[in-house]
Amino acid sequence: MAHQAHAYHMVDPSPWPLTGAVGALLLTSGTAIWFHFHSITLMTLGTVLTLLTMYQWWRDIVREGTFQGHHTPPVQKGLRYGMILFITSEVFFFAGFFWAFYHSSLAPTPELGGCWPPTGITALDPFEVPLLNTAVLLASGVTVTWAHHSLMEGERKQAIQSLALTILLGFYFTFLQALEYYEAPFTIADGVYGSTFFVATGFHGLHVIIGSSFLAVCFVRQVLYHFTSAHHFGFEAAAWYWHFVDVVWLFLYVSIYWWGS
Amino acid sequence: MAEDIKGKLERYRTAPFDSRFPNTNQTKNCWQNYLDYHRCQKSLESKGVDVAPCDWYKRVYKTLCPISWVEKWDGQRDDGTFPGKI
Repeated sequence: MAHQAHAYHMVDPSPWPLTGAVGALLLTSGTAIWFHFHSITLMTLGTVLTLLTMYQWWRDIVREGTFQGHHTPPVQKGLRYGMILFITSEVFFFAGFFWAFYHSSLAPTPELGGCWPPTGITALDPFEVPLLNTAVLLASGVTVTWAHHSLMEGERKQAIQSLALTILLGFYFTFLQALEYYEAPFTIADGVYGSTFFVATGFHGLHVIIGSSFLAVCFVRQVLYHFTSAHHFGFEAAAWYWHFVDVVWLFLYVSIYWWGS
Repeated sequence: MAEDIKGKLERYRTAPFDSRFPNTNQTKNCWQNYLDYHRCQKSLESKGVDVAPCDWYKRVYKTLCPISWVEKWDGQRDDGTFPGKI
């Protein structure tokens, strides 16, 4: 192989962009077909293909970065920019749901009784489980920072323990939210209050599950000695994402649970 | 006071400018006066005094509200499904 005179990653041909595109198409059109004709064949096919693509594509990236040495400092810089842009797009995604919430709640229409929460809606008490959830997520923000510093200092055992604690706190949050949803005295079909509440907190919950999975992958990679004290961008990206999810919760808590009740 | 409101009602031509509702859309103005009229009636009736001063609010909401809204809200009040707090 000819000598490469630069530090950039020349990627090999890969089938995953194609299978990912086909998977996404099958998943969206399959879901529409499920809605209209009650058949889940295409949706299931799309889900399986998408999950297989995600697993194998990310497995390849781990191999390229960890074992083949393709993630040189300039490549890591590109990964950083990519993650920053991705999280920025997520900020705007959530901004849309906050816009919907404030649009509906700042000037409640006569149909709602001209008040918020609307007439007939009993909101959740913000100082019960939601406050505990706030404490749980803030604590997980501390433990993920502890994991990062342990990683940088080469404290393997502490890094594993604090990362495990972060993931457990994430699961505890998800468990508490599931309980809240089950016990909630209103539903997503109870007008604009239910719609804005469940769409905003539901997408946040989905992001907590994604963030927990991301951290769980980092946990497995840490156990398998994939990270060094100087090269662990996968972990940093997961930590950034986790902090983002944490901040979204603070806005949800203050706006929807507290002010909105 | 009673003479004041009587004179005001006699001089009523249309809903005056209300600085609480400065926008072109007067939905909230209509809604608030509909609520105020029924709150006023409820309050004065419970005190056993003349409810005539409440008519000011009625004039305003009759001017501002579409007839169909008032019919809908009156029906909801009869059924006990009106969402506003009176």
